[in-house]
Amino acid sequence: MATIPIATDQTVAVLRVARRGYRALQNVPVIPLLMLGVLTAMAILAPIVAPHSKLDPVKPLRGQCLAKFNMPDCPYVDNAPPFWAAGGTLDTPLGTDSLGRDVLSRLMHGARISLIVALTGTLFAGAIGTILGVLAGYMGRWWDEIIMRITDAWLTLPSLVFAILLSSVREPSLWNVVLILGLVFWSRYSRAVRGEVLTLRERDFVKLAEINGIDKLTIIRRHLIPNVMNTVMVLFSLQVGVAVIIEASLSFLGFGVPPPEPSWGLMMAQERESLMEGRWWLEVFPGICITMLVLSANMLGDWLRVRLDPQLRNR
Amino acid sequence: MIKRAFAILSVLTFTCGVAWGQSTPSTTKPILSGPLAKLDIKDAQIEPGRGVPKGTLRVGLHFGIDPGWFDPLGYYGPALHFYYLVHDALIKPMPQGEFTYSLAERAEMSADFRRAAFRLRPGLKFQDGHPLTTADVKWTYENYRGLGFKYLQDKTENIQLVDDRTIIFHFKTPFVDFLDLYSGSGSGIGWIVPRHYYEQVGKDGFKARPMGAGPFKFVSQEAGVQVSFEAWDQYWRRVPGVKTINIKAIRDLAARMAGLETGELDLAYGMTGKLLQRVMADPKLRWDPNYTSPWHLVFPGYNEPSSPFHDPRVRQAVSLAINRQFLVKQETQGIGKPWGNWISHENRDALRGDGTDLPVPPYDPAKAKQLLAEVGYPNGFDFDWYVPFAPYYDMAERILNDLRAVGMRSKVQMLDAPAYMAQTSKGRKGFPGNRTIVQRIDPRPGGAKELIRLYAVCDGPASYICEPKLETLWAKHEASIDVAERDRLSKELQRAIVEGYYLVPVYLNPFVHAVTQKVLPEGQTVHRYWDTVNAPFPWPWEVWEVKG
Amino acid sequence: MKKYILVRALYSVVTLWLLVTIIFGLVRLTGDPVAMKAEAGADPAYVAQLRHSWGLDQPLHRQYMGFIGRLLRGDFGHSFEKSLPVRDIYFERLPNSLKLGFAAFLISLALGVPFGMLSALKVNSVWDNAGKVIALLGLSMPGFFVGLVLIIVFGIQLGWLPVLGKGSSAFVWSAPSTWATFWFRDWAHLAMPAFALGWYFSGAMLRITRSGMLDVLGSDYIKLVRLKGVPEAVVVAKHALKNSMIPVLTFAGLNLLIMVNVSVVIEVIFNWPGVGQLLYDALSNRDFPMVQGVVLMSGLLIVLLNFTIDVLYGYVDPRIRLSR
Repeated sequence: MATIPIATDQTVAVLRVARRGYRALQNVPVIPLLMLGVLTAMAILAPIVAPHSKLDPVKPLRGQCLAKFNMPDCPYVDNAPPFWAAGGTLDTPLGTDSLGRDVLSRLMHGARISLIVALTGTLFAGAIGTILGVLAGYMGRWWDEIIMRITDAWLTLPSLVFAILLSSVREPSLWNVVLILGLVFWSRYSRAVRGEVLTLRERDFVKLAEINGIDKLTIIRRHLIPNVMNTVMVLFSLQVGVAVIIEASLSFLGFGVPPPEPSWGLMMAQERESLMEGRWWLEVFPGICITMLVLSANMLGDWLRVRLDPQLRNR
Repeated sequence: MIKRAFAILSVLTFTCGVAWGQSTPSTTKPILSGPLAKLDIKDAQIEPGRGVPKGTLRVGLHFGIDPGWFDPLGYYGPALHFYYLVHDALIKPMPQGEFTYSLAERAEMSADFRRAAFRLRPGLKFQDGHPLTTADVKWTYENYRGLGFKYLQDKTENIQLVDDRTIIFHFKTPFVDFLDLYSGSGSGIGWIVPRHYYEQVGKDGFKARPMGAGPFKFVSQEAGVQVSFEAWDQYWRRVPGVKTINIKAIRDLAARMAGLETGELDLAYGMTGKLLQRVMADPKLRWDPNYTSPWHLVFPGYNEPSSPFHDPRVRQAVSLAINRQFLVKQETQGIGKPWGNWISHENRDALRGDGTDLPVPPYDPAKAKQLLAEVGYPNGFDFDWYVPFAPYYDMAERILNDLRAVGMRSKVQMLDAPAYMAQTSKGRKGFPGNRTIVQRIDPRPGGAKELIRLYAVCDGPASYICEPKLETLWAKHEASIDVAERDRLSKELQRAIVEGYYLVPVYLNPFVHAVTQKVLPEGQTVHRYWDTVNAPFPWPWEVWEVKG
Repeated sequence: MKKYILVRALYSVVTLWLLVTIIFGLVRLTGDPVAMKAEAGADPAYVAQLRHSWGLDQPLHRQYMGFIGRLLRGDFGHSFEKSLPVRDIYFERLPNSLKLGFAAFLISLALGVPFGMLSALKVNSVWDNAGKVIALLGLSMPGFFVGLVLIIVFGIQLGWLPVLGKGSSAFVWSAPSTWATFWFRDWAHLAMPAFALGWYFSGAMLRITRSGMLDVLGSDYIKLVRLKGVPEAVVVAKHALKNSMIPVLTFAGLNLLIMVNVSVVIEVIFNWPGVGQLLYDALSNRDFPMVQGVVLMSGLLIVLLNFTIDVLYGYVDPRIRLSR
């Protein structure tokens, strides 16, 4: 009689894990996470992987100076196209800009700057907004009224005012942009968080904690903040995209990360005329990077919102 | 009978004599008594016929429009662009020359420069028909509150109205530069404002609806956005060639370029930088280089011993390190001119920096490094800031690259235009510390002496330079009332400043203007619109013509 | 009800007062406008006269009291940079911004709502994702880039649309266009800036429409209508869409006013003479009265809108007005 192989315990266990993993993978938004992963890797590895410096012009190869300027030797060759076009070299695969700097290296370093600015700025705004929202929702009438009036007034202040104010008072820098983002956007968080807290504080576990005599600050720390995190996380991922675009707009108006640092928004803002002149690579490559970052952040945010909101999850 | 014939003859002779005396053009009759100073004022060149204005000229201005610029009593900033449209002056710079007769047909100054006299043309009117008389000239002078008003009014003892067309200014002390300030290029005091209208509508009303004696009448405006003018066919010099002029404020370079290419603009200013190549390559556009003034670098606080720029060899090293030929290729597609002076050659008393008067500064980075080693910086040094002229940040990067190559390292300090203006207008006092290099350009009228007075003397309002040798020369200049000697001293001062490396000139800046095919005359003769000396914009406006 | 309205009115006034005070302080920290307007070599008499005519030589509290006093009389002061009364200049520009905002709003509806509906009806399908990407692309590209591409393609290469803001048409330069002539003749100038701005907001419209539709489609009311045998198309068009429009319209009103901030970039690129550009110029030149005036007016409009919405909600839903 032939024996029929029976699945052993081990095989069954492995299969079960694999099945669960496969189902989990189906629900995860693969494309946005992949895009974000690539950009983050670029940001972290930039100093090691980038072929040239982000600030110094690239030393021209033999023959490039002659070809472009008819001079035997020149400090740099500006506006070289990407390697597949005439006049481009593999040394600078995505071309050079008007000061002779390598576009690819600047894009990689730019990932750092754009990610730092967007993430830190949004975190800063989120922190302030969440704290104020929780205080407004939980600490009583007077706290609520005062904070909400300030929030209303603050919502109507244009971000440009802060931009100009900060650039007059401090040296223009990366941290100015982070401050601007924080100062402008906290009000978006505080309203939403306050709404959440108003419902939360009627829940049984909070009432129980109050009855047991636990002080307000511990309740905030232990019960309220963890439970508003869902809303905050969703808002956060959606605001990251907005932050990147605002940074680009501020650079266009002259108040963003100061040159020569290679932030993507600044690269796009400075090279607008190059697009008109036909030097499309200087504008399009940073544009692709920004679009990838914002799209993936937004798609991730939308997915998170559906995942974390029990009502929407089953649709 | 003989008695009667004699009487008739004498009456006839007398009448003929009087008639002949009247027909002598009154321009040749002197106003002042005594010896007169020699003035070089050109003829107005009035058009013999009266034509018909045709077409619309649409202009793209690269900055916002301030209605305050329509009022000569409050002169500041680029107001001259609008004065040439709506107003007129007694004498003003024209293509004919730096001083050209306009409302005045004769001007004199006494040899001791203590009196100045003008005679207006006959039959002058404002645009509403009201006659323009010396009463308006006097009223304008006394009510002027723009730049320099106190200086002018304090120096004037009294203003004498001889008649409706003749006026004499009496000064307390010899005023050699009076015509420079009164000739409508350095202040608003020479541009005549209609007293009756101004008093009727008030300051705000005048800014909202200005009126003057110039070739174009104001039609309408949207504050800060655009303003429109229409030809005045009663203008004394000629009927303007264009029927309407519409000026729009378009700050964005790409937008001005787009406007030229689609034909929505006929003339646009400031087409330099990244789009110059496109302007040059477009067969439908013509462009004028419009050289304004040379870029130069100053060193605030250089005369303090702790400053790295204290030793002139360091400043010379800065000059040697800059690769001007490559810089003009990159920044201006090669049309900029490396220049050896910091003052525009269009000034009468300026030295040319292209080798004729002053040499073009050489490029020698090896010598620069050697000089630095001599002074005690074998590995170069770091300084605090390089302050660029907003928004030429790319140019600042290029120059810093050059400096870095010989060992002088720093960062670019980003100031926006108003902050830059505020700091640099205070001179050395506008910058903390003494380890800064500031990039400057100043295309203002008034001659080299005006720029020296502002920047290169110890108590100048925006002083960057303070040297005893220069002070002695300047004192001699101020004391002299001989024009030739003043010019000579001014040139000596310029040479001393450049040779002492108190400033480092870079290149003569072209501030390119572009016109479309709609502008007449066709071809390259269109450049005649830019003939006026020391003019940042192509005035006078009455000579412009476009296709209908 | 009356008490509710009064309380909300009081809140609005407090918010406005806070806004005015904050902007008064903030703007004075940005630098000295007199130093920026006076050129090199300006004589001290001229500078002193300028400072006096702008009221900046007075101590701060006097400036503040004077400012509030004039404000209550409706006088916003004289612009430093443009030398004319702030109120006149602002109201000259406001219709331009409203035109742009309104057109952008229509475009954002036209792009966002259909895709939102599609997303809601075919959840998690290819259509859902495609629609989301198209609307989100508007959010993912900086406005100055979108604007420039539009100018290059439609303005320069194809020559279909004019590239400069309203008023450059030969017919209309001499007289500010009236609303009627605008909508028939000048719409071409509005097309590109409105599209660039509208595309940006269509992402938000899509999200709101989608979530509103999903809410409604899952409700009992719709289940009942379906049970009655009403065809699906009618269910969607007549019942679901109508009910999901409420949050869209609420959001839209606020959006129109928030567009002042976002539209600065669009206005600068297309040279559209609106309030955003006015604010940018004023801030760049440290024009205190103009900045204060623009921020206050924008704030006033937003506060008025909030007040109206609160009153309407209170009227419609008794729980809200009785809860405090």
